[in-house]
Amino acid sequence: MSIVGKRVAIGVAVAVIGVLIAWYFVLPRFRPHIFGGAVIQSTQKAPRLELVSADGTVRMTDFEGKVVVVYFGYTFCPDVCPATLNKLAKSLALLGDRAEDVQVMMVSVDPDRDTPELLKDYVTHFHPDFIGVTGDEATVNRVATLYGVVYERAEGSVGTGYTIDHTSTVILVDREGYLKLVLPFEGSAEQIAADIDYFIG
Amino acid sequence: MRRKIILRSVIPVALIILAAIGFAVFEPIQVLPRIRLAPGYLLINQAAETITSEDVRGDIVVYNFGYSGCGDACASMNDTMREIQGRLDEVDVGDTDVRFVTVSFDSDTDTPPVLAEYAAGLGADPELWSFATGDPVHLQNVVKAGFEAYYEKRDDGTFTFDPVFILVDGWGVIRGEYRYQTSASDSDKIVHHLDILGEEIRNSHGAASLAYEAAHFFLCYP
Repeated sequence: MSIVGKRVAIGVAVAVIGVLIAWYFVLPRFRPHIFGGAVIQSTQKAPRLELVSADGTVRMTDFEGKVVVVYFGYTFCPDVCPATLNKLAKSLALLGDRAEDVQVMMVSVDPDRDTPELLKDYVTHFHPDFIGVTGDEATVNRVATLYGVVYERAEGSVGTGYTIDHTSTVILVDREGYLKLVLPFEGSAEQIAADIDYFIG
Repeated sequence: MRRKIILRSVIPVALIILAAIGFAVFEPIQVLPRIRLAPGYLLINQAAETITSEDVRGDIVVYNFGYSGCGDACASMNDTMREIQGRLDEVDVGDTDVRFVTVSFDSDTDTPPVLAEYAAGLGADPELWSFATGDPVHLQNVVKAGFEAYYEKRDDGTFTFDPVFILVDGWGVIRGEYRYQTSASDSDKIVHHLDILGEEIRNSHGAASLAYEAAHFFLCYP
């Protein structure tokens, strides 16, 4: 092979390796993140919230610096809430150490039955860092309304008493306190983890 | 030789940057901003049935706020709603439904029969256009705090309020707020915006959705 031929061969090999490296390492950084829900360009901070947990008053501003995952549910919830909380726990596991920058909070839509202590027992069963908050009916109704959530009592079986139909979205508030993402109940733990990860930055 | 290689690698990068600038400047795709989350609500409609924000999830909804005893103060607002209702064939929103909800803040007077009569008088299609009211405290949370539409009861029982239209998408996100009467008609603007929203929804799957996300990123707002 001539010297020129060798040079061309080396050139082609280097080019191919270069393209492969770009493909694996560089391109994913330029690919836009695809969210599992609706992203919001809010110019306002997430609605104010002042509720109570077993460990005292909780305000949204307490968590500035963390990504806050807000979910509305209740402890007697037969299916949707445990499924969602399990999924959120799995998302935190997927995030590993980065989960330190995340706070998952369940707001009770059943203040009559959910005491702060009961809520704490319930949510920490899914993940030790989860917090559960509640308040009087008027406060909970106001907070739920402003977070796009509606709930309504429905007849349950004799054994369980009433159930509550409620909006099952998962809401992400970014580290600066802006409400950024609304995820549907159907989203996977992997997708939720990826979206949280995006907002951790 | 070397210059050629540099040139060859610079050109594609330059083209990408040019394309991005072109996108931002010429706005080939327009989208409506995702302003903020619409409030959740549970109200009673003119047929005495509950209507909630979950019932309209997946639908595009145009909201306005008033009351049956409002008379001339609501006339132009009601005309606008009726006009949009009549012009839905001008917009292509694919399989999505467009609905209208008029929220009354006069829950004392506006019982379902009163609202039904009011709706019929306005020529509202009951399949498309709901009239609803509810618990006064909940209404304050929904209308004042959530939709940010001001109203206050006067001593004589009438209300002072700001005429507002709000456009909400199927995700429950506010996409348009029409608060100030301008020389351009609100119905023209809202019909145009319904069309823009419809186009985004029809292209919300696959590769095209990325272009629409880019339009959001570059703030290609009408």
